[in-house]
Amino acid sequence: MRKNWQLLCLTALCALLVLACGAWAGEKVLTVAYNEEPQTADGQMTTSCYMIPLNVYDRLLECATVGPGKSELVPGLAESWEISDDGKIYTFHIRKGVKFHSGEELTGKDVVYTFDRMLDPATKALNTDILDFVDGAAERMEGKADSTRGLELVDPYTVRITLKEPFVPFLSILASPQASILSEAFTRPLGDKYGLSPETTCGTGPFVLTEWVLNDHHTLAAFDDYWRGRSKLDRFVVKVVTDTETMRMLFESGEIDIFDCDFAISQIPYFLGHKAWKDQIVSGPRVGIYYFTFNQQIKPFDDVRVRKAFQMAVDRKKLLEKLYYDQGQLENGVMPAGLIHYNPGQTVIPYDPARAKALLAEAGYPDGVDLEIALIASASSQWQKMSEVVQAMVAPVGFRVTLVQMDEAAWYATRKEGKLPMYCQKWSADFNDPDNFFYTFFGSKGTVARSFNNISDEVFAALDRGRSELDFAKRGKLYADLEKTIVIDQAAWLPLFSLKHLYVTQPRVKTFVVPWNGWSDFSAYEMEVE
Amino acid sequence: MSKDIRPDEIPLSAPSSVPFPAEEFEAVEPPTSFLKDVWQAYRNNRMALGGALGVALLVFMAVFAPLLTPYGPFDIDLDVMTLPPSAAHWLGTDQFGRDLLTRILYGSRISLVIGIVPTLLSMAIGTTLGLVGGWYGGKIDYAIMRLADIVLAFPSVLLAMVVMYTLGASLFNLFIALAVVGWAGTSRVVRSQVISLREKEFVEACRAMGVKTPVILFRHILPNCLPSLIVLFTLGIPGAILSEASLSFLGVGAQPPTPSWGLIIVSGKEFLFSAPWIAIAPGVFILLTVLAFNFLGDGLRDAFDPYMKP
Amino acid sequence: MKKFILQRLIVSIPVLVGVTFLLFWLLNVVPGDPVALMMKEHISVDVVERVRQQMHLDDPAWVRYLRFLWGAVRGDLGESYKLKRPVADLILNAFPNTFLLAVAAALFAWIVGIPAGIVSAVRKYSLSDHFFMGFSLMGVSMPVFWSALLFQYLFAVKLGWLPVAGFNSWKCLVMPAVVLGWSSAGIVARLTRSSLLEVMRCDYIRTARAKGLLGVAVILRHGLKNAMLPVVTVMAIQVASLLAGAVITESVFNIPGVGRIAVGAIQARDMPLLQGAVLFETVLVIFGNLAADTLYAWLDPRIKFD
Repeated sequence: MRKNWQLLCLTALCALLVLACGAWAGEKVLTVAYNEEPQTADGQMTTSCYMIPLNVYDRLLECATVGPGKSELVPGLAESWEISDDGKIYTFHIRKGVKFHSGEELTGKDVVYTFDRMLDPATKALNTDILDFVDGAAERMEGKADSTRGLELVDPYTVRITLKEPFVPFLSILASPQASILSEAFTRPLGDKYGLSPETTCGTGPFVLTEWVLNDHHTLAAFDDYWRGRSKLDRFVVKVVTDTETMRMLFESGEIDIFDCDFAISQIPYFLGHKAWKDQIVSGPRVGIYYFTFNQQIKPFDDVRVRKAFQMAVDRKKLLEKLYYDQGQLENGVMPAGLIHYNPGQTVIPYDPARAKALLAEAGYPDGVDLEIALIASASSQWQKMSEVVQAMVAPVGFRVTLVQMDEAAWYATRKEGKLPMYCQKWSADFNDPDNFFYTFFGSKGTVARSFNNISDEVFAALDRGRSELDFAKRGKLYADLEKTIVIDQAAWLPLFSLKHLYVTQPRVKTFVVPWNGWSDFSAYEMEVE
Repeated sequence: MSKDIRPDEIPLSAPSSVPFPAEEFEAVEPPTSFLKDVWQAYRNNRMALGGALGVALLVFMAVFAPLLTPYGPFDIDLDVMTLPPSAAHWLGTDQFGRDLLTRILYGSRISLVIGIVPTLLSMAIGTTLGLVGGWYGGKIDYAIMRLADIVLAFPSVLLAMVVMYTLGASLFNLFIALAVVGWAGTSRVVRSQVISLREKEFVEACRAMGVKTPVILFRHILPNCLPSLIVLFTLGIPGAILSEASLSFLGVGAQPPTPSWGLIIVSGKEFLFSAPWIAIAPGVFILLTVLAFNFLGDGLRDAFDPYMKP
Repeated sequence: MKKFILQRLIVSIPVLVGVTFLLFWLLNVVPGDPVALMMKEHISVDVVERVRQQMHLDDPAWVRYLRFLWGAVRGDLGESYKLKRPVADLILNAFPNTFLLAVAAALFAWIVGIPAGIVSAVRKYSLSDHFFMGFSLMGVSMPVFWSALLFQYLFAVKLGWLPVAGFNSWKCLVMPAVVLGWSSAGIVARLTRSSLLEVMRCDYIRTARAKGLLGVAVILRHGLKNAMLPVVTVMAIQVASLLAGAVITESVFNIPGVGRIAVGAIQARDMPLLQGAVLFETVLVIFGNLAADTLYAWLDPRIKFD
């Protein structure tokens, strides 16, 4: 009876909603919420909000989900490509007949322009890292050259990119949203005004940005001439909702179609147990890892024994079970499940408070030791919960933890200086390559900028070798060994787990595809609604 | 400006304790003491009595918190997370398995401190500046009042946020932030009273006798401002409690695991659907506490001087 | 009168400069880097250094402040670091939303507060006094985000009467206006009450009563008009302060207003945007006060401009 009543209410609500949006009646609209104003539709200018780039643009290659936890590179705007034997020269054959939203046709000129624009200092782009390896990139960025040596247009539909050294992850990187392809004719005249409004945004992707109300919502409409065929959705509406409880209630009252459980992890049991929602949950693996850092510049973590003791003092299984409701698996390395070269046989970090206590005593802290965990101030964040629980968990071993609250800007600024105490974070893959994890955290600059300070020439050298190792098997072995060195021998961080990404959808959503890496940003091209 | 208390309303003499309009035209009663009059006026006001009772209860909770509950406010137990209210846990448990009632009881201490300390601080600053400005006038007064204008014109939530970011998030810094935001109102009230008192005969007499300025200010003028200050103080406490809750919402209030009521709501609101008691119970306590202080303050003002502008 | 207004405007110039200076100085002391925050987890030290330079963030503080002042004097508030759009556009686009919310909230506050104040003054210490005063004080006694949360849960999710959040129809305005307005209804009620009590002690009311006219009617006929004087003038101030104080309401109800812009700007260390937003709100408060004073003096012949 009650169920019927609820159903009735839901139907009534949907009917109301349809009536309310009279103009949209009959259209297939997917409405989702995003917790941050994306600021710009220009993929070169943002490092976190990729919802618009993923839907408005295409890349030379795309990373497609081919099965649970499996992905592969498929041709996108490049029909095919060749890589020279020394791994330095990439030749891309651009697809013919692809149209931009402005009506123009895509050619290799646009591709060269796009990447050169990224490196052009006038652009002030944030994502230049992905093109660091291109020959002549440094000169271009420093303003010493007017174009980039390594970017060449061979003929209107062939682009050759030359790298200064072999860089194995390069193809995967070109499939990331940062490498979205722009139209030269459209973009160049706009200068730094590009991507700030629907009128100044143009891509080849399945959706056209048609409406943008800052801090409220943006609307993407299906692009009729999309080269892969028109999207099944007519419109894709992204509401910007900063308050996560408000987002939740918008979902419960039927005003948005998909709820991303990342915004309320504690509510997973509720959704899993709720009559109306339990069959509406879509989940997918996330190629990402949760971790605690050790800052080796700050006592007591300068001592490897203390780091090992901390690793053993945290009951990761319990964290996973109680705070993440077992929606994932423990990780013991640097590479999470789903990443190429993932090594399931990695040495396991045990939970052993007794040994941890002994190690701590051996390191000269028989009476325990004080340490800090730095948090971005937000009472309801998952980091807050995790840190509070860990604080209580490691206390019996002798770690007296103080939680230090900072606001986001201060936290990131301190971390950049390498001075942030221990903290807890997650990282999801931008592109499917171990380099995206190892180099990010343990490269010579990353290890400081992320406040690990694990200065190890052995690791730095191995990372450089990994970037240019062309043999697949050798490369896998290299990363597996390196993982052991970093996590077990050096105890440079504490890997926790990788999690599934859960979404709850309204019954009217027929197809929802979780992106390969489990991001909250996704392409709506394959989604369907009733 | 009309917002301030007008000089002619200062209760130099005992206000009429007789409720209007019943005996307005009766003969004047024999003189009684000021405090006695105040008490008589206060006693008639049931709402004010209720407020006083509420505040007394709050103080009781704060003082005897450890005796009222067998649990500790920081006892994390992941096996009893988000339990509904029961005999063992009267208000249920929170997302860490901590007893919610225990946290609320201990939270009453935080609330009292957050209510009283910043209010005292801001009043001390405001009173001093108001006394100085009102007494000396001229450039000093002008400077102080423009500073007050700046603070009053600045959106207070934003100012408090910026101060908290500057100093770093902690309970102590929260006091400072709230004091920085709150002093300007007090200083205006005190200043306008000083200006009117400055010209009164007893002050003139003091000056003529050569009494030193600080003595005049603190021994003779300040006591005359006391009724307004007491009212400002009682009405400032609930304001500070609410400000702390708002700042907690914005992430710059008290810091976890402090059992501040505002913080309990903020970290519990995620559970509104699955464990609504976590967010609702502390809110009810805030509501009742703040209401009690408001009744108390209104009652006091009424008793001192019913025409006083808030 | 013109002279009075002009004088007040001149006096407010140092206040405005003071506000911007205070803000600039405070935010300069605060640790935080807008560029590091833009990059978040994808931090790259090289990129941060380069972009900081390109955005002139490494110039000395006083150079940046003077640059801002010079721009502001010419009416150019600069460009937001984070949103990359002109600050003036961002604020002017958001302002109508905040304004609508503030006016609606003020209306609600008066509708609840003024009758409560009247009842409370006329029937002092009666049951209805306690009820009405209690009700209007309840709004002041709840954290806004808490009452907003309960309202959303009850009226939007459970009952489905109103939309949860957003700002595209009058229905969206109801809950935020009630939540925000209720939180200042108590202040209106208090003010109405004390003004009315003051008027009631005046001679002309006594005279009217002495002539044998009955209590309540007299008070309402003769007293209310005069008692409303300070209340009306406070309304101007109130709208201004509601404009500035709508920060939390805007964020809970997801209203794209000035308050949310300001909070976002603090969090992002977006100095131009924050300066612009605060300057704008300060001007509003100053004008609100000025309007109130002018109105008061205009309504009450006893007050002279000086």
